[in-house]
Amino acid sequence: MSYILNRVFSMMLTLFLISAITFAVTNILPGDVAMMIMGTQSNPEALAGLRETLGLNDPLLVQYGRWVGGMLTGDWGSSLVFKEPIAPLLLQKMTASGLLVLFSMAIALTCAIPLGVWAAVHANRWQDTAASSTAMLGVSLPDFFWGIMLILLFARGLGWLPSSGFVDPGDDLGAAVRHALLPSLALGLGLMAHLTRMTRATMTGILKQEFIRVARAKGLNESTVVWRYGLANAVGPVMTVAGLQVGYLFGSIIVIESLFNYTGMGWLTYQALLNRDIPLIQASVFVIAAVVMLANLIVDLLYAVVDPRIRLS
Amino acid sequence: MPIDQEPLVSVDKLRVEFRGEDGPIVGVENISFSIAPGETVCVVGESGSGKSVTSLSLMRLVEFGGGRITSGRLGFSLNGEQIDLAQTDSETMQAIRGDEIGMIFQEPMTSLNPVFTIERQMTDGLRVHRGLSRTKARARALELLQQVRIPEPERRLTQYPHELSGGMRQRVMIAMAMACEPRLLIADEPTTALDVTIQAEILALIDRLKRETGMAVLFITHDMAVVAQMADRVVVMYRGKLVEEGPVERIFAAPQEEYTRKLLAAVPRLGEMRGKPAPEPMRLVGEETAQASPTPIDAAPEPLLKVSNLTTRYPVKGGLFRRTIANVHAVEDVSFDIGRGQTLALVGESGCGKSSCGRSILRLSEPTSGQVLLDRTDILALNNRDLRRRAWRDMQMVFQDPFASLNPYMRLRDQVAEPIRNFAIKTAGTVEDRVAELFDRVDLPRSFMSRFPHELSGGQRQRVAIARALAVNPKLIIADEAVSALDVSVQAQVLNLMMELQAELGVSYLFISHDMAVVERVAHRVGVMYLGRLVEIGSRQQVFENPQHSYTKSLLSAVPVADPTQRNIRDDLNFRPIPSPVFPLGHIPAPSIYDEVAPGHQVLRAQMGLGLD
Amino acid sequence: MKVPAAFRSTKGIAGVIVVVAVLAVAVFAPLLIPADWATRMDMRARLSPPTWAHPLGTDQLGRDLMFRVLLGAQTSIFIASAAVLMSIVIGLPLGLVSGYVGRTTDNVLMRLVDTLLSFPALLLALTISAILGPNLQNTIIAIGIAFTPFLARIIRGEALRVAQMPYVEAARTAGNSDLRLITLHILPNIMPAVIVQSTISLAFAILAEAGLSFLGLGTQPPDASWGLMIQASRDYLDRAPWTALVPGTAVAVTVLGLNMFGDALRDALDPRARGAA
Repeated sequence: MSYILNRVFSMMLTLFLISAITFAVTNILPGDVAMMIMGTQSNPEALAGLRETLGLNDPLLVQYGRWVGGMLTGDWGSSLVFKEPIAPLLLQKMTASGLLVLFSMAIALTCAIPLGVWAAVHANRWQDTAASSTAMLGVSLPDFFWGIMLILLFARGLGWLPSSGFVDPGDDLGAAVRHALLPSLALGLGLMAHLTRMTRATMTGILKQEFIRVARAKGLNESTVVWRYGLANAVGPVMTVAGLQVGYLFGSIIVIESLFNYTGMGWLTYQALLNRDIPLIQASVFVIAAVVMLANLIVDLLYAVVDPRIRLS
Repeated sequence: MPIDQEPLVSVDKLRVEFRGEDGPIVGVENISFSIAPGETVCVVGESGSGKSVTSLSLMRLVEFGGGRITSGRLGFSLNGEQIDLAQTDSETMQAIRGDEIGMIFQEPMTSLNPVFTIERQMTDGLRVHRGLSRTKARARALELLQQVRIPEPERRLTQYPHELSGGMRQRVMIAMAMACEPRLLIADEPTTALDVTIQAEILALIDRLKRETGMAVLFITHDMAVVAQMADRVVVMYRGKLVEEGPVERIFAAPQEEYTRKLLAAVPRLGEMRGKPAPEPMRLVGEETAQASPTPIDAAPEPLLKVSNLTTRYPVKGGLFRRTIANVHAVEDVSFDIGRGQTLALVGESGCGKSSCGRSILRLSEPTSGQVLLDRTDILALNNRDLRRRAWRDMQMVFQDPFASLNPYMRLRDQVAEPIRNFAIKTAGTVEDRVAELFDRVDLPRSFMSRFPHELSGGQRQRVAIARALAVNPKLIIADEAVSALDVSVQAQVLNLMMELQAELGVSYLFISHDMAVVERVAHRVGVMYLGRLVEIGSRQQVFENPQHSYTKSLLSAVPVADPTQRNIRDDLNFRPIPSPVFPLGHIPAPSIYDEVAPGHQVLRAQMGLGLD
Repeated sequence: MKVPAAFRSTKGIAGVIVVVAVLAVAVFAPLLIPADWATRMDMRARLSPPTWAHPLGTDQLGRDLMFRVLLGAQTSIFIASAAVLMSIVIGLPLGLVSGYVGRTTDNVLMRLVDTLLSFPALLLALTISAILGPNLQNTIIAIGIAFTPFLARIIRGEALRVAQMPYVEAARTAGNSDLRLITLHILPNIMPAVIVQSTISLAFAILAEAGLSFLGLGTQPPDASWGLMIQASRDYLDRAPWTALVPGTAVAVTVLGLNMFGDALRDALDPRARGAA
């Protein structure tokens, strides 16, 4: 119990640091929001007036306080590009991206774990070479390259799936899945390659452990030794790596969503960055970092479920 | 005793190869021996002798480590028929493993699967081999835990391995190996990782189970003392070959081969120094006997090192902001002196605080309170700069692990020269000359000076570490388990070197060790530590020949003697487990009060909250 | 000197060959190929598929893709190397100090690093680049900053491990000052990990540069990098997929080579990781 309290408190501290870093990064630029709203050619007096109303002449610390205060009270401001309140906008886009992240994680894990274990069992034989080489190739291809290939093959070539756009699952579930499939695959393939390598490395280490030898000495058959004794010990480390990859995914969605015109969080952030929509940049960067941190927190807590050694401490 | 009947196991001309970078490497070759039912055969050898490869071959587990049995027979009598395990298919092998042959391994900490309960690990073998239901398997597991005398067996079944102590885990391992009442138990260094009292318990347990069930035991070990205690017959191995084989009494009394004689000569036997006042180098076969040190017993009245009420506690961090939530009382109110040219040995089991004590004197760990006077210099009062200039100028340390105590990226010459340069030690010639002289002194060829550590063996590295310590002409060397990681023949050479250096240079040692037989060889005075306290201190003869504290007595009774005519394995031993040294923040322990039972022989007054009688 | 086994494997040899080849192209292509070969527009052969005249085809302006890819190597490699160098220059002292000094310094620094690690590296790089204004120099800064927390974390872990080794304690009692201890005893022993990590980071930096430029927030024309070429191809994917495949393959081969090289390097330098993929 105190462990969880401890983690929650630590999370609050990290959230605070995340907000500070976000604010700092977005305030290193020479221009400001007023200039962006009115354009560079605007009347200097009007500009100064707007700065005054927006509070841009206040010290940075005061501005930061105002920003955090707004976040805490639910006033996240309005996007300069979309002319909409930010909070509901983010919520909607985050749902869309959540779908992609979950899909790609599911695709990656279901393939990576068996493949990685299989490679580890046949370490340094042709099965391993084949699996490891494929995985190596997979981690070396840029995500958008996967995306382009998938578009060429499944959308342009075979015409099976749409190559762009987003459909809300609430409107048409089938269409939503079809639109999410290719971007998820584009995200998932690289991830799968990475997780395969990790699983293989972890399992190779585990299979050298003494308790594996003991399990064999007990007369258990190889599949029990590998898939029960071995894999049970690999779940924790692989899960941790998968959790860390959530961060990587939220980086990749920026590229993939804009490639597939999938209007989720990545696409939104990209639009904000392109148009220097500072309030939106701040809010979406903060939200993405917070979600990534939360995902890792959940993985940490889940670790305690699969590993009794963590449970007690 | 060998029983006159068909052998249970007959190994004939076994040869095992491993895949190497440049073609196959021979693991063992031409190994032949047999095991009769109910007999204990010990395979003994130093590291690299191939003793484990032999045992893993019998289980055909060697194949999982990249090995291959290329020739030879592994005869095994199964249901009255002789089969060749080397030719058996993998399904039959699976049926034999864990059923006909049980096996236990060296590391109780890693032999059990950390994420499964004890029950699951104990029952899966039974369910595979005996087809027992879950409840029946559980009942049998419970029975087995009772047989190996684990306290609270019901609770153990629901626990995970990390919740059990090392000794208890090894008992679980043995219970697991015994599950299907195997006719052969293979024990691969089962007590090497354990403290001496736990070792005595485990040896007694294996011996009792063997007598009760009539199974044969193949016991793999590097420790001649354990061999003397356990074996009916002995197989001596060296570099993958069989050296000699015979009944244990014959091997110890009249070894036929040069190697066996060398090995036995290098083994210190507890009790063989009885009646001798001063330490004595070992008489090694094929080497000139080292000079015994003419001991200046307290020639100078003033001791070199005076430690008073030394206390070291390590904080246990936790909770919010990683605050200190408890303290490990590693060293608790310890006082002793070391005379010039003398060796004080600190002995005790793991976690007793002997290493922390040594580190605290050097201030590699910062003591909480107390006083350390080296030649009247108050070590604990020195600031960082003076610590370097004054304390470490006179005191040096030799660490346990020869593979970690030298910087892998620095030439040995530079590592030995470092203290000379840093402390600006005056030398007759150049620094280079001094380093060469030091290499001569520790019997290393000068050509080694330009080498890197990985080009040396463990024993050679430890000599370099000693040379580095000697470079400052120290008054005191703290040797923290300095010979523990070495093979017994190398250990004897390094011990002799240390004793010689003491005789020549008059250096004092604080010799920290868990090995009572080694300590009996090298020490002038002995201090026994338990749970951070010094429970007994006196001259070597006082402590070894007339132990007063109950802990010292039980420790000495647990040490196996390398002599088959002095077997001290008793029916069943159960030493009291060592309590935790972690105490809550405000805990104030009672001060250490000693009774002087003889001049210089002090014994901690009973009931110091140590949980001892 | 004996070639380590890791570099006698197919993977190791292939890695060395690719890395050497790519570096050679990056260094020598601009010296041997006149710059205007890559910018000369052949208006009659716009979006031409591979032909004898243009072995790898042309882009939407009729520029030869083979020469563009060869000349683009320098930009991509330069940006990636400079960014990794920057992250080492910042991350190495940070990690060393954190691992060696420990206590509060370590707590504060690592809390900050852990927080930074919550920001996806690509997002951080994109944001910094967008805020500073995308150009070649800012792309380096953006990627360099985004990669620093990873390096600092790894170096800190290594420094912590090495600082507890008996040889460091022995060196301390041999009278070495903190500075000598760090430079002579700790630094050499963490270098293998730093080198391996740098190689892997270099691969990631090339991917990151490609990603940034692909989104138009990295290198800007007239500088020509591989990512920029892929970005330019986006509108012509249907008609001329090779405009994307050619630079994409260049990125993939380079990254693959670096990864193989890094793996072999790790196997050779760090026996503990032996057997890892």
